Amino acid sequence: MKAEYVNSFYKAAKEVLQLMVDIEPQRGDLKLIEDLSNDKDANVELGVIGDLKGKILFSFPKNMTLEMVKILSGMEMDKIDNFASSALGEMANIIGGNALTLLAQHNYTCDIVPPQIYVGEYKPYSIDNDKALLLPLSTPIGEFDIVIFLKENK
Amino acid sequence: MMWKEKYKIGVDLIDEQHEELFRRVSDFTRIIRSEEDWNARIDKVKETMAFMKDYVIVHFKEEEDYQAKINYPELEAHKKAHATFKEGIDNYVKIFEEEGFNENRIQEFGGKLMTWLIMHVGNMDQKIGEYVKSKGGQI
Repeated sequence: MKAEYVNSFYKAAKEVLQLMVDIEPQRGDLKLIEDLSNDKDANVELGVIGDLKGKILFSFPKNMTLEMVKILSGMEMDKIDNFASSALGEMANIIGGNALTLLAQHNYTCDIVPPQIYVGEYKPYSIDNDKALLLPLSTPIGEFDIVIFLKENK
Repeated sequence: MMWKEKYKIGVDLIDEQHEELFRRVSDFTRIIRSEEDWNARIDKVKETMAFMKDYVIVHFKEEEDYQAKINYPELEAHKKAHATFKEGIDNYVKIFEEEGFNENRIQEFGGKLMTWLIMHVGNMDQKIGEYVKSKGGQI
């Protein structure tokens, strides 16, 4: 997988989180993983179709999810209910959409399939003998991951 | 508070309408997240939905008229974003007409509506303000 993929998602995540919840994520070390999986509490899966094909997984811990939705709404949140998970899914959708706009500048034309949101356990998605990239991001309100699994489809 | 001063774009008419939109979405969020019995809240939910649907049309129209008046170069892209936003609301209005005002669905809609509004006003609309400033202030 190419650096453009990771950079586009990092840049999009940074811009959207700064704008919406006033936090600036810092990149951690990239890891190669063998399936699309994560043990964090709230997971948003986005399908990608077009010149690149695959899936993106955003994984957030519970406290960070609640804190983000609290910053957005100005209201206390004590559980990841439909309201919170829907807001989180939409944020991930916006990050994904913006990342694909950035990737279009590198001549990849792609679309996003509407997000699937999993609160609680995320059943690992097998990618056979391939590898996915896990980009850890740290913020003052918690650490979250973006798992990127994209293949060229041109 | 859902509204933040940083969302102001520096054009009074638009800022006032944005504040009103945020106030309504905040009220809507408070109602749908309250612990009170759902049946006791449903009329207020319906009323706010009806207001939002109409007010969004009025606001988008006035914002687009203003952009046309100042020859805003991103008008077409902005119109497209408004159409997508409105389509998102209309899709849920249709769902509620078909399925009734199901609490879980309303919560789902509320989470999206809040995120769409913040992203649109906090990002895309800010560019109108930047353009106005680049032209030397209020037009």
